[in-house]
Amino acid sequence: MLRRQLLVTTALATFVATGAASADDTVKVGFVMSYSGWFQPIDASTIRGAMLAIDDINAAGGVLGRQVEVVSFDNRSEPALGADGAIEVIDQGAVAVLFPSDFDFGAPGAFIAQEAGVISLSGASDPNFGVQGIGSFAYSISNAAQSQGAILAEWAYNEMGWRTAYTLLDTTIAFTNSLCGAFDRRWSELAGDDALLGSDTFRNDDPTIASQVTRINSLEQAPDVIMLCSYAPGGPSAIRQLRAEGLDQPVMTGESLDGDYWIGAVPGLSNFYVVNYGSFVGDDPNPDVNAFFARYAETYDRQPDVSYGIRGYSLFQAWARAAERAGSFDAEAVAAELDQFDNEPLAIGPTTFTPDLHIATTRAMTIMQAQDGEFSALGTYAPETVHLD
Amino acid sequence: MIAVLVDAFSVGGLYALTALGIGLIFSVMRLANFAHAEFVTVPAYALFVLSGHPVIMAIASSVLIAVMLALATERIAFRPLRGIDPATMLIASFAVSMFLQRLLVFAFDSRIKPVDPLAVLAGSVRLFGAQINLLKLTTMVTCLVLLVALTVFLKYTRFGLEMRAAAEDFTMSRLLGVRANRVIATAFVLSALLAAVVAVLFSAQTGFVHPRFGLQIVIIAFVATVIGGLGNLVGAAVGGFLVGVVSTLLQSFLPPDLRPFREAFLFFIVILVLLFRPQGLFPARGLKERI
Repeated sequence: MLRRQLLVTTALATFVATGAASADDTVKVGFVMSYSGWFQPIDASTIRGAMLAIDDINAAGGVLGRQVEVVSFDNRSEPALGADGAIEVIDQGAVAVLFPSDFDFGAPGAFIAQEAGVISLSGASDPNFGVQGIGSFAYSISNAAQSQGAILAEWAYNEMGWRTAYTLLDTTIAFTNSLCGAFDRRWSELAGDDALLGSDTFRNDDPTIASQVTRINSLEQAPDVIMLCSYAPGGPSAIRQLRAEGLDQPVMTGESLDGDYWIGAVPGLSNFYVVNYGSFVGDDPNPDVNAFFARYAETYDRQPDVSYGIRGYSLFQAWARAAERAGSFDAEAVAAELDQFDNEPLAIGPTTFTPDLHIATTRAMTIMQAQDGEFSALGTYAPETVHLD
Repeated sequence: MIAVLVDAFSVGGLYALTALGIGLIFSVMRLANFAHAEFVTVPAYALFVLSGHPVIMAIASSVLIAVMLALATERIAFRPLRGIDPATMLIASFAVSMFLQRLLVFAFDSRIKPVDPLAVLAGSVRLFGAQINLLKLTTMVTCLVLLVALTVFLKYTRFGLEMRAAAEDFTMSRLLGVRANRVIATAFVLSALLAAVVAVLFSAQTGFVHPRFGLQIVIIAFVATVIGGLGNLVGAAVGGFLVGVVSTLLQSFLPPDLRPFREAFLFFIVILVLLFRPQGLFPARGLKERI
């Protein structure tokens, strides 16, 4: 009798031990991203970058000795489905979840993750994807839109010597509103209140911006530079219409028009400047960035056409480091370590988080130009003054 | 001022052609064809696929593809539903629209694809003391020519007569020897021709095509057909033209703080029009008895 009991106990103990061991082998992270639908091309390179990071992490022995396993959910480019996705991947055991690189797309899932005590990661360029909006477990790897607006204003004024500007704002999404708002404010500080010759608005799906273009053309003084806050497809259409009406001034914009995939819409585009996370054509001042995009091209057998991949990579690089330091996957502990990041060297550049701010504001970004339809890097620039309010 | 008028008329012209395309089909079979958006998008994709080939060939093929697409949707999706209540047909047209849109995403992904069918019109000319963009001028002239041509077709040809008769009273015209299949097919062909022209002119202006390309213009054109009077072709053309002109003028003359709310003003005007003329500016004669 005793012997039989012993046998059962041993068997049970063995069973529990093996069960625990296999759970100990891996740790799950969720990708609740747009794998299909119109947002898919925007998320695709972030996903590819994140997978590169996870491959690297696993090759180096995993996080806390556990291999990272991805559970994915397709939100089909419907922001609301992000909430379902968050519930699903968290049910499957995800301890950190990657959400789309846009506040509106990422927020529904991130709120769920926050409530469930799970880390949310995103490339949303909005400080609200963090303590202010979602909560203490949400982190964005991007430079805030306000930071990008400041970089462009300072670069245009200091480096290029432009003195008058005109802003053309696509009011459809939060990012472009913050970008142009920050630019206007910083530009007025630098160049004076009269240096903004005017501003106008359009919507991304406006079939034409003919009246906006005509208004710029009838200004008494032509602006030195046009600040365009938009994204594809409305943004490229706007540039094409500006150029078609003889407005050949420099056009500047933020990360939302990053990439060369749309340049066919404006054949021979020149005098175009965009701030992004690193040159994807191989000429970034930072050799690590070039190495990253070369590896991206080799791994996926396709040339990167936006800089977003490096954000996906850096997000999991950051999470893995914080979890290692915390010695735990618990969201409180990981967040506490992330909040300690002080110019932490990540692929995307030195990154700082504080308990109050979970997005980059002072990190340098790359400014790229298009001349005769070809993109090239001009250099990296950090903002001097960023107003977040 | 001339520049503003050219802007307004070229935009109004595009809306007028689109509204006419919708109106043609509505007038003969009471179908509010939501898939008209894809009648515009698909030929624009044809231009993308054929870019690199001679422009004339690309444009001709895209027109042909639009016509074939229209005839195919009529035959496969709408003919079996003929005579069923308009709400069902509207839903069917939604289904066709979404199916085609997803098909385009599947075939080409959802990123924008460059097209430049009218690169020759990149310059501008001096007219009445203003620099006028050649493309806009072409758009205006093309719209005008097509409107005149369509009027001539409807007024002076046998097909046109049949279509007008069908629009007025479909059953009666059938009793008098108008063939339903033929008159409806003609409406679809004309509608597709107009859509293809819009696709060429509109894509020349934007420089690219994407799966929701046609939708942005067709949604406004729908509003235009309602203002003009559903089922009335003159109404559709005038409504389209008015919506384009009014939205351009609002954008030009509203104070900067109010410009982001341009659409609110536009639709407020639309509501006013409908309050005072619920059947639209030009009510269709054939429609009233049916309700």
